[in-house]
Amino acid sequence: MISEFRVVGKPQPKLDAIEKVTGRAKYSSDYVLPGMLHLKILRSPYPHARIVGIDTSAALALPGVKAVLTHKDMPAYRPNPWMPLLTDVARFVGDDIAVVAAVDEDTAIEALGLIKVNYQVLPFVLDPEEALKPSAPKLFPEGNLIGGAPTVVSRGDVEKGFAEADIIYEARYKTPTVNQAPAESRVSLAKWEGGRLTIWDSTQGPFEVQKGVAKALHIPMSKVHVICEFMGGGFGDKGYPGRHQILAALIARQTGRPARIELDRDEYYVAGLRRYAAVIDLKYGVKKDGTLTAIQTKVFANSGAYAQFAAAALGVMQVPMSVYRCANMQGEAYTVSTNTPATGPFRCVGHPQGTFAQEVHMDIIAQKLGMDPVELRLKNYARLEDGDQFRKIPFTSNGMEECILRGAEAFKWKDRMKVASQTGPVKRGFGVAVHACSHGGMMPGMPLSGMVKVNSDGTVNVFSGATELGAGQKTTMGMIAAEELGVLFSSVSVTTADTDMTTDTGATSGSRQTITGGTGVKMAAADAKNQLLDIAAVELKVDKKDLSIRDSVVYVAGSDKGTPLDQIAAKAPGGVIFGRGVMKIPTNVFFHGFAAQFAEVEVDTRNGHVKVLKIVAAHDLGRVINPLGAENQIEGGVIQGMGFGVSEDQIIDKASGVCVNPNHLNYKMLTIKDVPEIQTIMVESVDAVGPYGAKGIGEPPYSPPAPAIANAISNAIGVRFSELPITNRAILMGLKAAKA
Amino acid sequence: MEEEQDMSPVGEERESGKLRVSRRSFLKGMGVSTAAAAMSQAVVPPLEAETAPLVKGVREATIVTEINGRKYRLAVKSHWTLLDVLRRELGLTGTKKTCDRSSCGACTVIMDGKAIYACSLLAIEADQHKITTIEALSDGENLHPIQAAFIREDALQCGFCTPAMIMSTKALLDSNPRASLTEIKEALSGNICRCAAYPKITKAVLSLAQKA
Repeated sequence: MISEFRVVGKPQPKLDAIEKVTGRAKYSSDYVLPGMLHLKILRSPYPHARIVGIDTSAALALPGVKAVLTHKDMPAYRPNPWMPLLTDVARFVGDDIAVVAAVDEDTAIEALGLIKVNYQVLPFVLDPEEALKPSAPKLFPEGNLIGGAPTVVSRGDVEKGFAEADIIYEARYKTPTVNQAPAESRVSLAKWEGGRLTIWDSTQGPFEVQKGVAKALHIPMSKVHVICEFMGGGFGDKGYPGRHQILAALIARQTGRPARIELDRDEYYVAGLRRYAAVIDLKYGVKKDGTLTAIQTKVFANSGAYAQFAAAALGVMQVPMSVYRCANMQGEAYTVSTNTPATGPFRCVGHPQGTFAQEVHMDIIAQKLGMDPVELRLKNYARLEDGDQFRKIPFTSNGMEECILRGAEAFKWKDRMKVASQTGPVKRGFGVAVHACSHGGMMPGMPLSGMVKVNSDGTVNVFSGATELGAGQKTTMGMIAAEELGVLFSSVSVTTADTDMTTDTGATSGSRQTITGGTGVKMAAADAKNQLLDIAAVELKVDKKDLSIRDSVVYVAGSDKGTPLDQIAAKAPGGVIFGRGVMKIPTNVFFHGFAAQFAEVEVDTRNGHVKVLKIVAAHDLGRVINPLGAENQIEGGVIQGMGFGVSEDQIIDKASGVCVNPNHLNYKMLTIKDVPEIQTIMVESVDAVGPYGAKGIGEPPYSPPAPAIANAISNAIGVRFSELPITNRAILMGLKAAKA
Repeated sequence: MEEEQDMSPVGEERESGKLRVSRRSFLKGMGVSTAAAAMSQAVVPPLEAETAPLVKGVREATIVTEINGRKYRLAVKSHWTLLDVLRRELGLTGTKKTCDRSSCGACTVIMDGKAIYACSLLAIEADQHKITTIEALSDGENLHPIQAAFIREDALQCGFCTPAMIMSTKALLDSNPRASLTEIKEALSGNICRCAAYPKITKAVLSLAQKA
């Protein structure tokens, strides 16, 4: 079948690739300004302590130091409901106590050592269940349980469901704190000039930063210009205004000099928003034929000192309460403050944690039933007509069955048991996991917009508030505009993430921008095209409805002879054509990224090493805009998700609250040597709402690898793992326990 | 003696409640002996009394280094890294800083034909050496074949690790133009790509090695 599209669906290298491969791309961390001050943060050495006194005089007296600020100098603004800009009560090791601004980094570092802080050390708590005990030290006067009570969600009658079940299986799962670890740290450079603030920031949410800074400094939004042209990754950590942007802005205003802050890598590990660790209790009731009769869950999210989300635990709970159809469900979610680093999103809000627990749980149930794990999933997955049972909204499309079936076929799942008997020390195993979680929300009141300009020579500029954080947002926006307008992709330039030049279309998070930013750009392009056709109808003296634009040429129906677009664009009454796309979102719409992944592993029982040999990743993208970029996204997500499965763990020492591996050496990320063969399968369910039927693909590939690998490991060695990461040590301990 | 004071910053930082024992502070302490060793080989003017160091233990030195085919005479401090000099002093920002502790590879440059981590080489150690950075790879709009292959195969996402990944690739292919898949993975295993564009990077490099 010949595609109805000219640009959409064709592999497209990245629009900004030349700048990136030549090193000319200027990231926010690459900017320097004359007279720039360097900021350094004094961080708490204690997990919990009240600051009784703080003396900054010696630091201020050091030549080259231009400002030292503490909690006493801060506005009341908070980057999130719990996080002060600088604190008078340290709530984790690394909490921000004071900021120094100096003429160079060395001086700033030396000045930190001259600040005298008198701490009253307080008892601390690191574990969320411990933190819920009445005797636990309290981080906040209102207690450690956010909201004061668990969030309880129920549907049907869970007790009745268990009574109907033939098998009831109950288990506890744990996932660790993990770090986004983007290549570029958190960095901000603020310049205050002529009553206007400019911030070069490494941010997924330039407009969120603009709003936050305006609020914190009590200045109008129009006076705050946030720029993020190139960005070295974010993965969820950089979607919000944080402490550092505000501190840089305050210092720039106070000193009249540009102020730059870049978190050192060891600071980044503790001072950003980490993915919260979770403890997940699951109890499922199931009939002999595999039908789920009851799902009961309890989730404890360790949201650290300052939760970005009050609903952190609910995000985890969403997985067991929406992926499979079940009439009887009940869940309790506890989001708990502890004396550990602040937490937030990382390639989803809770779904990687929930998916690990659920997909291992389902695998064990399949084993207990003597049922093919793929069959069990096919039997129970939530159908199109079931909709999202958790959010109680319809699915906009549902490609789950196709993902499972095509993935299983490509993986040759049916042949998996034909492996010759495994007598050697290296065992081979096969596993599956599915994933179906809402992402890319459109919610009433959320911005959705885009702008398109057609120049007098027929070329096109696209302006989108989306951030290009590596996923190819610039390219996607350009492709959507070219497709909608009917122009050559080569004639399109794209500007993103500049609050002076583009419009807010929501933070680039939640696998959102192809959908929201893409819709804004598509609407803007349609608006511009409509204006172009008005002009063409007059110029060519034909009926507008007989006109079309293809490859930057205007055609009249029934004729192959076209008029180059520049001849039409040049006749624009105002000298330019300006298309606007903006939409009031009427109701909640969430897009569901369905997926099935299959893993083949080898486990060396002598040293516990797991070698992932192959991953088949079948994903429902609705419609693929750029197959090249989409494949890259899926592969990258799979590899990051593998790291969550077997190696990544940000470890906090139980005795001191200190993060003991705040560096890329001891926080184990996978390298190119760990990469298995990855086969991607792109399912196009053609979404009812997204542009050309597209859905997002940023987050979905991340969640399934960990459980698919865990299930494959179990298939190989007959030992189940309920805690991540499944390291060599865990394998050896598991084997030892199984023998005992 | 001043040197003795210089050896203690690690302990001092712990006491003052600072979280980190930084590599830089450590070098500040250790830098004297390291610098002394390097200085015995390099042509460096003696320290003048009036060039009072801003930070305890910091010495200045002059190095002569060839960077991207151009000779530079550079006044550097003994604890500065080559990365500091490239990015901060020379504005060559194509070389990136991610970990600053030789564990991610984002600062990879080529010194005398070998891929090295610029964050973990003291600037004084670059004296009398030849450095190539990403900025020297393309000639205006004419891209190096490695750069063209990276674009074609979409061997990048955020692009932050890309210049370093390309420099590691160049060091590999310059010495081993027909590198095998295993050799490619070995040579690039010191470069972390957090976006994990690894399959596409492998494909791009392999396409060059197979053409050679």
